[in-house]
Amino acid sequence: MNPAVHLDGITKRFPGVVANDDVDLEVERGSVHALLGENGAGKTTLMNVLYGLYQPTEGIVRLDGEPQSFDSPRDAIDAGVGMIHQHFMLVDPMTVWENVVLGNEPKTWGGLRVDRAAAREAVVELSERYGFDVDPDATVADVSVGEQQRVEILKALYRGADVLIMDEPTAVLTPQEVEELYGVFEELTEQGKTIIFISHKLGEALSAADDITVLRDGVNVGTVAAADVTREELAEMMVGREVLMDPATPPQETGDRVLEVTGLSVEDDRGVEAVSDLSFELRAGEILGVAGVDGNGQSQLAEAITGLRESSSGDVRYRGEPMAGKTRRDRIERGMAFIPEDRQERGLVMSYDLTENAILGSQHDPPFARGGRLDWRASRDHAESVIEQYDVRPPDAGAEAESLSGGNQQKFIVGREFERDPDLVVATHPTRGVDIGSTEFLHDRLLELRAEGKAVLLVSSKLDEVQGLSDRLAVMHEGEFTGIVDPATVTEEEIGLLMAGESLDDESVEGAALHDDAGDGAGTGDAGDGDGADDSPGDEIDGSAGGGEGVDA
Amino acid sequence: MSDSDPDTDRSPSVLARLVAPFVDRSVAERLVISVAAIFLSILVGFAIVLVSGRIAECSTAAWTLPFTGIGFCYDPVEVYVVLFNGALGYPFAVGDPGLFNPGWSPFNLSFGLTLSETTLLIFTGLSVAVAFRAGLFNIGTQGQLVVGALATALSVLALVPLLPAGRVAGVVLIVVGTVAGAVAGGLWGAIPGALKAYADANEVITTIMLNFVAANVAYVLVLEVFRAEGSSVVATGYVPEYAQLRPWLFPASSDFALIALLVGVGFIGALYYFVEHTSLGYDLRTSGVQAAAAEYGGVNAKLTTVRAMTLSGALGGVGGAVWVLMSEGRWMASIPDLGFDGITVSILAGNNPIGVLPAAFLFGILKGGALEIGFRTDVPTELVAVLRGLIILFVAMPEFFRMIGRYAGVGGGGVAASTEPDETGGDGGETDA
Repeated sequence: MNPAVHLDGITKRFPGVVANDDVDLEVERGSVHALLGENGAGKTTLMNVLYGLYQPTEGIVRLDGEPQSFDSPRDAIDAGVGMIHQHFMLVDPMTVWENVVLGNEPKTWGGLRVDRAAAREAVVELSERYGFDVDPDATVADVSVGEQQRVEILKALYRGADVLIMDEPTAVLTPQEVEELYGVFEELTEQGKTIIFISHKLGEALSAADDITVLRDGVNVGTVAAADVTREELAEMMVGREVLMDPATPPQETGDRVLEVTGLSVEDDRGVEAVSDLSFELRAGEILGVAGVDGNGQSQLAEAITGLRESSSGDVRYRGEPMAGKTRRDRIERGMAFIPEDRQERGLVMSYDLTENAILGSQHDPPFARGGRLDWRASRDHAESVIEQYDVRPPDAGAEAESLSGGNQQKFIVGREFERDPDLVVATHPTRGVDIGSTEFLHDRLLELRAEGKAVLLVSSKLDEVQGLSDRLAVMHEGEFTGIVDPATVTEEEIGLLMAGESLDDESVEGAALHDDAGDGAGTGDAGDGDGADDSPGDEIDGSAGGGEGVDA
Repeated sequence: MSDSDPDTDRSPSVLARLVAPFVDRSVAERLVISVAAIFLSILVGFAIVLVSGRIAECSTAAWTLPFTGIGFCYDPVEVYVVLFNGALGYPFAVGDPGLFNPGWSPFNLSFGLTLSETTLLIFTGLSVAVAFRAGLFNIGTQGQLVVGALATALSVLALVPLLPAGRVAGVVLIVVGTVAGAVAGGLWGAIPGALKAYADANEVITTIMLNFVAANVAYVLVLEVFRAEGSSVVATGYVPEYAQLRPWLFPASSDFALIALLVGVGFIGALYYFVEHTSLGYDLRTSGVQAAAAEYGGVNAKLTTVRAMTLSGALGGVGGAVWVLMSEGRWMASIPDLGFDGITVSILAGNNPIGVLPAAFLFGILKGGALEIGFRTDVPTELVAVLRGLIILFVAMPEFFRMIGRYAGVGGGGVAASTEPDETGGDGGETDA
């Protein structure tokens, strides 16, 4: 029997770049196939070829053994290939069923009138057939992200998709929703649908997929059955060398209060309260992790602290100084570094080269500016040193930011911000889109900063990242901390519940730490013990030495 | 994170397809495109000249189509030869005795007129360009020029009685008059800047409105208060000759002072240095290309807006000062559309200060050449205006497409920004290299 999808020797070249090099990929009907790889490995390009967005330079796409030639995604949909993008394309004010049929509505009166009853009926039937738990009459804006994703899947099924491509399907989901998604996968494959999902998360590929294909530098490194492979082996396939999976957070004394946030409320662009009466504090030599599903106020919190957004009420104090009325420039000058989540909007000027980007934020400060004049030589040297230390590729200070891959853009921003010699680092998704090898390096740098006595506010949607690095872990839901927990002892399920907005009565939650005064040292000791148990004695000694420096600093 | 619909990137719109070839071009490529555009416009202009020459009536045909005997009233070759050659004062000999005209000197009347126009457009072009670089569309250079010109004329006229006539007084008056023009133009430009920054009023609308305000307030002021005695037109009195920028080397009737052109070139250099090599320039252009990144980098958006508009207005005001001191010798109500031409000059120049020089020169040539065509041929001035318009349209369009493209997010930066979602941004982003 022919495989449902057979990509035969696909090569896709762009000017100067080979994105896919002779990639073979066979996906059996009714299976879940994970396409795993680092940033820039060519996963998305390959799927865009399958989805008809790109035409392959060489090679053939076969569905059920039949060679296909797609000129556009429309052709691919007609042939039964559906794609579900990471960012949903739904019309918020419309109902679920309206969204599903949008663009392919059943019509009467010679195409003039939408047959609403038939459309709704078709959607209900479809969702019952696959056991989807969605209310067809609910407005999309009102349903959860997990449900929205199911609406997207329904859309693809409604258009007759047999093969579903999903781009990073778990990126926006809580752990519970991820579990539900895996259930949906089972349901779909039982009915003969084939699923290919793109991921760079090992755990996800291992638990959800039947088979895993690893891409590296545009080449198929190998296809393995999920049952026969370990995390470590997969990581090695992805990176091409052995990888240490867990960052080690040695215990460390914390120093002075660097950041105090009291009763902070912040509105988002639409004027809706995104951060509600939030209080916490952060000390030198401490990493406070903020976990949560994207869009629960983390961005607004980070922006309010770094001076990019005005708070509607409450107080932010930085090194004891109230920050009310302080501009972004004032805060940069006082040693706040900020890794923004939207690197291509804020973090880099896309049309500038890296030399020009290296001084973004420091354009008025020595050594880059003297008497209002810019010293391009100094900024070039700086750019080159960031490029070298943070392994930015291509290593060319004259390369325009927009020519870099997302991961390399991120590395450059992180490098620039870390090398600012800050007292406070607000890092939102610092390793998003960065490959495993570089992630490991950035994590090490974060821990070095911590050892140097810097305060770090780490916002990330990667649970293993915040859990592994943080001294204390705050979980954010709808603008509030649902708990500040000890990352060493908390379980993923507990974090998931907090992310969903439920509270825990468990002893692992230091509810008291929510508010400032109880934060003094709370949690850090526990965290240290917990982590220290995993570390070698050598690490502990290093850690305490680092702590000593932290106090001095 | 971008919340734009990826579909819009993936199936490009008609606009995006139209615009895409012109985005992401190197300087050299853009130059080639510009030269090609001039030739293309000449080709189209040829056809238009022929067609009009067929429609018009004349006793003898100026040009006959070879082998056919079909006559045309206007000779398209002659039109373009006169346009370009005449604008320079005929350096090239047509027919005998050779390629170059031995009697040609650069200091002729036609070339003087060309350079006079060039000089004025350098200032207005720079004015529009500097606002563009900050992401602001200053349509108000014309109004800033009017206000600046009036301030120059009035301040010089007010100071004349206080200083003994002579060379020294002339220099003082010219400097003071130019500074007055810059200050007045700058303040006039600061108004829409402040309105934009603090009241969120679109600068395109406010600057257009302020053009009318400027023109009419100045008109009434001069009509009622400052009108020269016995003048038949609405104009101030003449600035004394020693306080004017008099033609040097060029014929007196050319109204072209080389010193003004040199100052203009100096302004180009200074502005280039300001934009590329100073902290404030970095703030300004970063705001222009990516406002969110500028904000992230600690740039005060409001202040930058006001600054850029003030600078832009000041440059327009200097243009007005030069117009009074060099071209007209007084302020008068019928001010040419130098400010509006400055918009096209700036677009032609890709909003780059250096590019303003050739762009203004092209405009100067078209202006000088059009005058020559009027002298030398029977071609009506309306037709010459059409040919000028064609050249400008063809040359400006690629640059204009580029601007639209950047604005609409087509091309490198735009695409990368809109397909951002983590991994995909990485995979797809590289293809832009």
